[in-house]
Amino acid sequence: MTKETLDKILKIVLIVGVFTLPIWINSPTYLQILILLFFYAYLTTSWNLVGGWAGVLPLGHSAYVGIGAYTSTVLFMHYGLSPWIGMLAGGVVAAIVGTIIGIPTLKLRGAYFALATMAFGEGVRVFIENTDKIGPFVLNGPRGICIPLNESFWNFQFMSKVPYYYIILIMLCIALFVTWYMSRIRIGYYLNAGGEEPEAAQALGVNVAKYKVIAMAISCFMTGLAGTFYAQLMLYFYPKAILGLDFSFEIAFIALIGGRGTLAGPVLGALILRPVTDFSRIYFSSILPGLHLVIYGLVLILVMIYQPRGIQEPLNRFYNWILDKVTGNIEKKGVKS
Amino acid sequence: MALLEIKNVSKHFGGLKAVDQVDLSIEEGQIFGLIGPNGAGKSTLFNCVAGLYAPTYGQVFFKGDEITGMKPWDICNKKIARTFQLVKPFKMKTVLYNTMVGSYIRSTNPAEVRDMALDVLERMHLADKKDILAKSLTIADRKRLELARAMATNPEMLLLDECMAGLRPNEVDEILDVIRGIRDSGVTIFVIEHIMRAIMALSDRIAVIHFGEKIVEGTPEEVSTDEKVIKAYLGDSYVATGN
Amino acid sequence: MRISGFPPVSAVRENEVKMDFIIQAIVSGTLMGSIYGLAALGLTLIFGVIKVINFAHGSCLMVGMYAAYWVVTLTGVNPYLALIVVVPLLFFFGYFLQDIVIKPVLEAQSDVREPTEVIIVTSGVWYILDNITLMIFGAEYRVVQTSITGKSFEIGEIIVSTPKLYGLIATIIVSVALVWFLKYTKMGKSIRAASLDREAASLMGINQYRVFNIAFGIGTAIMGVVGCVLLPFYYVFPTVGVIFDVKCFIIVVLGGLGSIPGALIGGIIIGLIESVGAQFMASTWTELIVYLVFLAVLFIKPAGLFGEERDW
Repeated sequence: MTKETLDKILKIVLIVGVFTLPIWINSPTYLQILILLFFYAYLTTSWNLVGGWAGVLPLGHSAYVGIGAYTSTVLFMHYGLSPWIGMLAGGVVAAIVGTIIGIPTLKLRGAYFALATMAFGEGVRVFIENTDKIGPFVLNGPRGICIPLNESFWNFQFMSKVPYYYIILIMLCIALFVTWYMSRIRIGYYLNAGGEEPEAAQALGVNVAKYKVIAMAISCFMTGLAGTFYAQLMLYFYPKAILGLDFSFEIAFIALIGGRGTLAGPVLGALILRPVTDFSRIYFSSILPGLHLVIYGLVLILVMIYQPRGIQEPLNRFYNWILDKVTGNIEKKGVKS
Repeated sequence: MALLEIKNVSKHFGGLKAVDQVDLSIEEGQIFGLIGPNGAGKSTLFNCVAGLYAPTYGQVFFKGDEITGMKPWDICNKKIARTFQLVKPFKMKTVLYNTMVGSYIRSTNPAEVRDMALDVLERMHLADKKDILAKSLTIADRKRLELARAMATNPEMLLLDECMAGLRPNEVDEILDVIRGIRDSGVTIFVIEHIMRAIMALSDRIAVIHFGEKIVEGTPEEVSTDEKVIKAYLGDSYVATGN
Repeated sequence: MRISGFPPVSAVRENEVKMDFIIQAIVSGTLMGSIYGLAALGLTLIFGVIKVINFAHGSCLMVGMYAAYWVVTLTGVNPYLALIVVVPLLFFFGYFLQDIVIKPVLEAQSDVREPTEVIIVTSGVWYILDNITLMIFGAEYRVVQTSITGKSFEIGEIIVSTPKLYGLIATIIVSVALVWFLKYTKMGKSIRAASLDREAASLMGINQYRVFNIAFGIGTAIMGVVGCVLLPFYYVFPTVGVIFDVKCFIIVVLGGLGSIPGALIGGIIIGLIESVGAQFMASTWTELIVYLVFLAVLFIKPAGLFGEERDW
């Protein structure tokens, strides 16, 4: 068979496999690990719209996760609004905030933009940690919010992990589709051009700043949705977990190691690095706390020096090489395509 | 009415007068050359027209509309395109991708844009290289790509900033043909160039800039025999001999 | 709309904030601010010369503090004597950090003026340093009893903390020494030349990477001084650097990247915001004010108080 056919078959097998996984895997622990893996893949894919394409380094994206989570939860706790709708509301709020922050910051040079996003992210965390209530809405400061158990579809709560698995998987697929689609239409071309050579892009009619802000808005909207998902998955969240520098950096690190600006990079990054976190947390957390962060740091440095476009590049080449070998061998043995 | 009118434009950087009260008129269909010693202010003047700088004083008009101080992307929307002296290809993208970025100003339909870009590449003789990454191109091809990208926006006027620097003589001749072809297709060209034989052969009219001021304007013959020009380029000792 | 947690102004007046408290706050804030300024000094030197944002700066401080801690704990010497060991140690640490980790990234991006890859790489270093320290030394907060811990003296009604005063003195000495070094020594002049244009400097025979290594080493060595200065009155723990890291960046941007007076004045401003602000609100809110000031500076004058105007 041809390489293209084998590639298609493998991809179909992968998709079918991923979508039918819960049939064979029953353990809630493993499902949770997978759910979080997809969760991070979704976050890094959303981050990628700004960090990969717009060519800048956002280091405060956790703020939008938090905004999404707090918005939908507060609306639910106070008005009984279904978190499904709250999710959209959270996304919109995150997008608006992201746009307001983006307009002045996206004009800044790379390093300054990074610092500004960090300051803003930390600012949001400090603000929420210090605030018990805004008007009638309870934020609970550093203690966080606990969502009362009340399983139902409309409450976005399920006893089994399986619905969560499919929800985040579908969200990831949508995020990937949005990224893929954008890359093929004008905004994708303009973002790429503006990120690589802003002056040349401007001379070709691209209002680079405007498109960066659009990318930021879309990215923040998508990130906000993830916040609600997290809130409904864990039923408890607090500022240090869902906001703050560590979370923002983790998202950025994974996307960078995987390969910013590509479709598969962020997902591959999550696929490879998240198990490192889980593994080191399960087996090493008492003896060697923080081991996974050391590994992240090391891998990050090595990748930046030797493979700045991320590990997706060598992985891609390897995959293609394997495909070539296998299809070459099959043809040699006389299997007709 | 002239296509491009530069009226009394000055650009000051602090105390430095990079461009000093320059008046220029470019007619439709012309190839207008801009020459002058290094640092004379040619690129600065270009950038004032192209929107990278806003003039400190003076105005710029295109087809009768004022474009002074407009942003580069709006200037491009007004159908003025430009190339850069140090070419800026999108290195990690293919030749076709690069050109499509330019074509996207004319349409938002990806298939249409692709066709338009391919069309431009055909005319620029780059079509066979359409899938090559820009970073792998030779310098001559990069310059061609720079031109193709600008032409993809379908401009009425093209600003060429020293597009022949670094080319071999035969490559210069090739580019000259390409530029003439662009003019014949209806685009007015405003060109800065250092390679004398090229700009003399190409231009209908030439203006000479020295220390930010326009010192001479005329046909290539008039300019090359003008005393002030010779003095500016070669120094006083050459003026005595005249031609 | 009330944001609870933030005290209403009337409650403040009820507490009778006297002028004395404010003056005390100004004094303490200036002292602490000078130490912040010293920490930012190293960062502004590194940025001004190598044009890189070093996210591992705070972690270098942490290393300095642990080094000082162990020197003092193991030998019982005065923390200021520990400088003899800590400063050279940190100098070489910084030198090799730049040489081994940052230089390869700079070389790959030699045409980009301020590569963001360096931010990423130094973030990696930050995480590695902080977490290895966590693994080796544990998360506990350590404290050291020195001859000057907790000591203070009074000028009129104002209490001046002795270790912080020594911090101010150290800041003055280091700043003067640094300025002298940059202005009058050959290496100093090379550093200044390289900061203006790394390519031009290298064409003139200045080995730009060696200059960078030294500049980085100096910047990190300064953090060693800060570590010794902080030891008498600050806790030592693996993530102590994070607090200073963020503050240093804010100070450096506020004062102007590459400006020595900017770093010092910026530090004092931040110190004052913290101490004077604490008179009116919980200290966690002053953190927010610092971030807001930072964002305001970025939007209004990104070049900072003393920075050069560039096309930010």
